[in-house]
Amino acid sequence: MALAGGFVGVTAAAASSPSTEVSGETYIIGTDTTFAPFEYREDGELTGIDMDLVRDIAASQGFTVEIQSLGFDAALQALQSNQVDGVIAGMSITDERELIFDFSDPYFDSGVQMAVAEANTEITAYADLAGETVVAKRGSEGETFANSIKDEYGFTVKALADSATMYDDVKAGNSVAVFDDYPVLAYGINQNNGLKSVTEKEQGSSYGFAVNKGQNPELLAAFNAGLAELEASGAYQDILDTYLDAPAASSDTSFFGLLSDSAPALMKGLGLTLLATALSILIALVLGVLFGFFTVSESRILRGIATTYVSIFRGTPLLVQAFFFYFGLPQLTGQPIDVLAAGVLTLSLNAGAYMTEIVRGGIQSVDAGQTEAGRSLGLGYVTTMRRVVLPQAVKIMTPSFINQFVMTLKDTSLLAVIGFAELTYQGQQIYAANFRTGETLLIVAAIYFIVINLLTMLSNKLDKRFNK
Amino acid sequence: MSASASSKISVRGLRKSFGSNEVLKGLDVEIAEGEVVCVIGPSGSGKSTFLRCLNKLDDITAGTVVVDGFDLTDKTVNLNEVRQHIGMVFQHFNLFPHMSVLQNIMLAPVELKRGSKADARATALTLLDRVGLSDKADARPAQLSGGQKQRVAIARSLAVNPDIMLFDEATSALDPEMVGEVLQVIRDLAAEGMTMVVVTHEMGFAREVADRVIFMADGLVVEEGTPAELFGNPQHQRTQDFLSKVL
Repeated sequence: MALAGGFVGVTAAAASSPSTEVSGETYIIGTDTTFAPFEYREDGELTGIDMDLVRDIAASQGFTVEIQSLGFDAALQALQSNQVDGVIAGMSITDERELIFDFSDPYFDSGVQMAVAEANTEITAYADLAGETVVAKRGSEGETFANSIKDEYGFTVKALADSATMYDDVKAGNSVAVFDDYPVLAYGINQNNGLKSVTEKEQGSSYGFAVNKGQNPELLAAFNAGLAELEASGAYQDILDTYLDAPAASSDTSFFGLLSDSAPALMKGLGLTLLATALSILIALVLGVLFGFFTVSESRILRGIATTYVSIFRGTPLLVQAFFFYFGLPQLTGQPIDVLAAGVLTLSLNAGAYMTEIVRGGIQSVDAGQTEAGRSLGLGYVTTMRRVVLPQAVKIMTPSFINQFVMTLKDTSLLAVIGFAELTYQGQQIYAANFRTGETLLIVAAIYFIVINLLTMLSNKLDKRFNK
Repeated sequence: MSASASSKISVRGLRKSFGSNEVLKGLDVEIAEGEVVCVIGPSGSGKSTFLRCLNKLDDITAGTVVVDGFDLTDKTVNLNEVRQHIGMVFQHFNLFPHMSVLQNIMLAPVELKRGSKADARATALTLLDRVGLSDKADARPAQLSGGQKQRVAIARSLAVNPDIMLFDEATSALDPEMVGEVLQVIRDLAAEGMTMVVVTHEMGFAREVADRVIFMADGLVVEEGTPAELFGNPQHQRTQDFLSKVL
């Protein structure tokens, strides 16, 4: 096996006894979603070289790991904000990263390689790339390398977030070549991902396990000790052989095979999608009614509060809000936040702003004469609102509420970027491992379509029944 | 006219501005119990604003308005209580479209806890009979003609048993053939001794029903008097010009 030559011999071979400092502790380890053969999902379970390594090391050193599959960028941000205790994600040890992270002993020697579409006969060397666009993984060695030679060879580098998307980009012809870490590339090619490598691998850097600078030194020490033990016992080589000698082949290659293989994971994702939607829309409704009343209040202060709230959450992208609540807020407060909580916080505050506008619009669209008639009869503000204005306003607002509900359901897919395991995320996990992007996305889209249309029909029925 | 203890409505130096636009420029009006006063004048003269100051649907910028013994400029006065003494009928009816005719009329008595729901229902049916719409109790406002809507609106105002009724161009939005049925209801109320302030363009009606007619222009009372005086022998040029156009 040619790849075997790439693995480092670990120098500090002295095996240690299980460290007492980490014994019994649970550590949260962040990782990438799609870096086969280092991490990927098989039948819904996270597997790969990194996963086996970190689990075996944990077992030998007597601590427990909880793996969070976040995506590469997201895992690094989570580490910086102490959302996770360590990251193992096929990450190269670089000078820049060593400024903010502490790395373990290197556990794998990597290197960047270029691949093109199978049918492509024109690109055989870097020199053929002049005027073309190539793709690399954002923040990866591949991107660094491609950028270092792009001026020399005159091509443009586009960065994408995961390997499967990059390979599809090349197959679709949007980019002519991909620069990726060679074991990943080799694994994908073995899985018939439709690419071929055309150049030798570049001399690359080594992969390491990272903790935040100055944090969790005992975890780092335990990782090094465990790695040395696995090296010494030969278990390390066994892990590599498992993934690199006999790459896993897909069990059933028909569409229906894919459908039945992916159904459990997708249904689990759908459950989380619906949970996040339901929680978010309920909180958004409360926020919307509260701030909606503020906007029509006579108090300048209340109106100011509501206007500020709405302009902040309507005036910034949902994606930025999601990043802020999951990565930014913990850095500011020092309190880690659960991914579901961060997701629901984001969606409910965002949808709440739109709900506020719906409530305001609904109330204001009721003719002022209605309020005047109520008040002239001697009814108070609250009674007039409750009996006269709101029943009419709710009727006007209902279609907009249903619309917002559907929007929020679809917006949950954005939470995939912070590693919330909803439907879209599950889909990404599946095609990251099997490279059947088109079919998987079709299934995911069909599930959204069916669920949204069923819920819309149900909502309209309720609307007709209660707002006749 | 001097203020007297028997005044049902006493307006002194009433001024009203919307922003920098002064609509009422100092009105003094006294209205006695049981008196029917019609307010006429060109559009934009401030007639409706004057009426809306009488139950404080519009805020009062300056001056005093005392209605049924309540000083409306006194911030401690409970406006909701005062308004139960003053019924108001609007140009565009303002019926509640999501309720039946009966529910429109019953809403205020029920919400204000004036006796039982059954009482409110009985009162509402009596009032509907009085305006000639017994058969429309379960209809929705959208199913009624303009004249019918306005008669329901009058019945709705009467349901809280007011001492005073304010009519804000109650027939202006009606088709001509429906004006008569609404005026008849107002005429009946006048005959029963209700204190009323009627902003109207119906000069014939004003002449027939009013005890007194007030002519307003540019936010001021230009002239007032009995219908015979005001229509028969107007003293001011503005009044004469206006009457020559509308009569």
